[in-house]
Amino acid sequence: MRLHPLTSLAAAGSTAVITTAAASWPLSLTVIAAAAGLSVAGGVARRMLPVVAVILAPLVLSLLAMHGLFFPEGTTVLAQWGPARVTVEGLHFALQRAAQLSAAVLVLLLCSFTISVPDLVAALSARGVHARFAFVLASTLTLLPAISSRLGRIRQAQEARGLVIMPGIVGRAGAFRWQAVPLVLSLVEDAGTRSAALQARGFGSTGHRTSYRAVQDSPVQRWVRLVLVLAAVAAIAARLWQPTAGAS
Amino acid sequence: MSSPSLTLPSPATARNRRLLETLGALAIAGTYIYLVLNQPADITGGPGSASALIALSGFLIGAVLLIIGVLPTLPVSTLVLIPVALVLNIVLGQFVGSTLVPFYLDAIGTVLIAVLAGPAAGAATGALSSIVWSFFNPTVLPFAAGAALIGFLAGVAARHGLFRRFYLAPVAGFLAGIIGGVVSAPVAAFVFGGTSGLATGAIVSAFRSMGDTLLAAITKQALISDPMDKAIVFTLVAVLVYALPRRTRLQFPFVRRYRVLAGTAISRPTGGSTGKSTGQDA
Amino acid sequence: MGQSSPPALAAGIEEFVFSGEQEPVLAGLDVAFAAGSLTAVLGGSGSGKSTLGRLLAGWLLPGDGGTLTGFLELAGTCLRFIGTAADPRIDPGSWGRQVGFVPQDPAAALSTIRATVAEELAFGLENAGIDRATMAGAVRHTAALTGLTMLLDRDPPTLSGGQLRRLAIGCAVISRPEVLIMDEPFASLDTDGAEDLAALVRNLVQDGTAVVVLSQRADAFLHNADTWLVLAGGTVAAAGSPAEIVAAGALELAGVVCPRPQAGPLPLAEPGFPAVVDGPPALELRDVSFTYRGTQRRGWFRAQPGPPADPVLHGLSLAVSAGEILAVAGPNGAGKSTLLRHLNGLLQPTAGSVLVRGRNIGGQPAGRVAADVGLLFQQPRDQLFERTVEREVRFGLEPGQPAADQAVQQALAAVGLEHLAGRHPAELPASQQRLLALATVLARRPSVLALDEPTVSLDGHGLAALDRVVRSTTAEGTAVVLVTHDLDYARSIAHRLVRIEAGRLLPAD
Repeated sequence: MRLHPLTSLAAAGSTAVITTAAASWPLSLTVIAAAAGLSVAGGVARRMLPVVAVILAPLVLSLLAMHGLFFPEGTTVLAQWGPARVTVEGLHFALQRAAQLSAAVLVLLLCSFTISVPDLVAALSARGVHARFAFVLASTLTLLPAISSRLGRIRQAQEARGLVIMPGIVGRAGAFRWQAVPLVLSLVEDAGTRSAALQARGFGSTGHRTSYRAVQDSPVQRWVRLVLVLAAVAAIAARLWQPTAGAS
Repeated sequence: MSSPSLTLPSPATARNRRLLETLGALAIAGTYIYLVLNQPADITGGPGSASALIALSGFLIGAVLLIIGVLPTLPVSTLVLIPVALVLNIVLGQFVGSTLVPFYLDAIGTVLIAVLAGPAAGAATGALSSIVWSFFNPTVLPFAAGAALIGFLAGVAARHGLFRRFYLAPVAGFLAGIIGGVVSAPVAAFVFGGTSGLATGAIVSAFRSMGDTLLAAITKQALISDPMDKAIVFTLVAVLVYALPRRTRLQFPFVRRYRVLAGTAISRPTGGSTGKSTGQDA
Repeated sequence: MGQSSPPALAAGIEEFVFSGEQEPVLAGLDVAFAAGSLTAVLGGSGSGKSTLGRLLAGWLLPGDGGTLTGFLELAGTCLRFIGTAADPRIDPGSWGRQVGFVPQDPAAALSTIRATVAEELAFGLENAGIDRATMAGAVRHTAALTGLTMLLDRDPPTLSGGQLRRLAIGCAVISRPEVLIMDEPFASLDTDGAEDLAALVRNLVQDGTAVVVLSQRADAFLHNADTWLVLAGGTVAAAGSPAEIVAAGALELAGVVCPRPQAGPLPLAEPGFPAVVDGPPALELRDVSFTYRGTQRRGWFRAQPGPPADPVLHGLSLAVSAGEILAVAGPNGAGKSTLLRHLNGLLQPTAGSVLVRGRNIGGQPAGRVAADVGLLFQQPRDQLFERTVEREVRFGLEPGQPAADQAVQQALAAVGLEHLAGRHPAELPASQQRLLALATVLARRPSVLALDEPTVSLDGHGLAALDRVVRSTTAEGTAVVLVTHDLDYARSIAHRLVRIEAGRLLPAD
């Protein structure tokens, strides 16, 4: 059975919250392992891996370099070069933060890679105000892949009339100024047309809405969602009640 | 078969969403003040998760309240521009974030909307930008409040005519960057225990090596990166907005009403070049 | 009312002015459309027909979009506008249920938030709160009407141009409006697509819909219309039955393109150039082959629809001498555009070589080759980025040189835009944008001029200017390569015609 999109969203969100609240080594590592396992089982691991690497590699490296080398609060010094001191406390702090953040990032990414966006939009649209939020989310996801082909088309058209694009990052950044104007202009113009089209099709009206796409839901899932949200709230409450409990 | 009515009731019934907007702003401000005043000692000592949770939930709830308050009041013509802004933010932000530049450039779309449609739309766009972007990159989610603040400040700057003179735009961006950077710093400190980029991380490390506390080091880093970043962003947006054709600029009521841009006064002496555009090239 | 039946939609526009402008776009205009009728509103680029269409359809709202004085009458309700804040404010949603509109660019009319064609069709019904069973019935009916039944589960961005247009029409008619207005529906449709669309329009008219077609070409199908309205300078220049209008000769004056029905294939144009014997040809392709190397872009979530891969080319050889006009014709997807992109180095052949005036251009960036080979794309909007027409043409020329000034002046004069030098390029009508893009290429005095579908979106005046430019530049020794699906046009101007099919060159029959 397919999970209702709000159920997977609730599961991912509350796992991320609970992991952050618990701030414990074993839990973070368990969540990381579970997310990795689920992504393999769900067949999204290969698509997810590059994205995870792009996000987490700089984050983890930055944390390790920052706290591993410079941690004035640290006392147990392992090595020292000039102002840089490798301390046990610093490494511990960096690794702990890295594990905690990686767990939250992995769980949320797993959710966005497995969720069906049209189902999510339909589920959100059925709930009043969310129709507009759902529009922003879905429209952005539709426009994103289109933009690179549109930029490519503009670049070709401009090269054809004599714009020389130097290789390398400086050249591309310089050429971007010329491409940005037609890009933004065409996006804004299209948005004007879309706005008129959406309004003519009743998007601006405030009345009752229905949904053509049927999203499967069940009472069990509704209960699960409620329990997940309550668990997240409870975890936050417990942590605020005892700010230093369970420090590992 | 005539349907209900072809016209709208005279002025659109403005629902009172001020309360939600105010609550959102209060949640953000309150969270920030709490975090700074209490300077939780446990940032680098204990697990630090209590302050991380306060920073996360306070800023996120504020951002969500702002969105709930503002989004339903926006006209559809502004609403359809928000995805466009988000696409610009995400594409540029992701690109610049992957380079070794200590800037972000992830607010161009937000500032563009703020200039064309006002502070409320700008704030909502900023918050939405972080939330939608977190679909691809969950690490930007905690910065929703900071992004909303930048959108709001850009809108205020536009309303007071800071985009009418080209040289004022970077100044406005610089000031907005100072405020935005200071507000975002606790998120970086408490949630991430550092920054998410390599270049910005190097700057923080430099301050840490001089013995600063983590929050102080990150705030100083933010004071270096953010004002420069926002000055660049505001300037780029000014360039873009003035490159847009007049008719496109003037389709936005905010631009017309507050005369946001130079040369957009309603009556303009027409030169000799405004002949009718047909029938002259035969 | 003594008349037989009131019109489905009527308007009396004394004046319509865009915000912040002084010149009215529409003035002194009275129109009425009866149920079950077909009306064609014809006019050149910039005649105000799109503005009129959007105004009638509630896509351009009096008040927000500009100032209207006059009245709009729909389904017995008459709204009067005097240009003040007390004017009635149109509810676009309920107006849109009774007047459907299909814009020039159908892709821009899609919601972008629905994952299948069926859901896209249902979007308007969802917003009206119609229950699911009724929606399903309406979607089936509309899909059958517009020929989308087989495509209901497709993702809208993956549709072809003709399919997108039918989807946009389906979205407009699913609420069964009394009036349907279409802006340039036949532009860039091939023959099959145009016939499907004509059948669809006939069905709608038979069902009692008042159909209004805005067009700058008096296409064959439009000769079936009940009424023609010819628009020029924002007002009705002529009205009547097609035969009356044609007899009065009002179309040419208004810049409407009138394709003459051809009895048989035209003879090719006389090669009016002296055969150049010495020296290399202006452009030569030697055994050029191209295969698409899949650098597949990855989408984040959805499999990226994107444009289809460039078609392959198989061993093309071709020479064009100075002063010659070569037309390349062929169906969509045969490799016409791929071939064109090889002429200036935007694409590099996988085998073979491209020579411009005897020099191999392999490995040179396209921006440099552009000094010798001017290439004009179909979509002028992508090629323009400056703030004024004059700066646009000057871009890339040696700054401050008197020669540059002269080149700019001559290029603008050649396309007939010198009176618009101070205007913003994006504010020009489509036809003039194409001419401006042509001028930017001409100012560099290229030895080869390559044109992609040059006739698309040009009105009568624009076509005349294009003809003048092509003839005068070839007289000066420029070689012209034009790619088109319009065989009649190709025959009327080219000295030589070749066909391209599945990436291979064939002699024209």
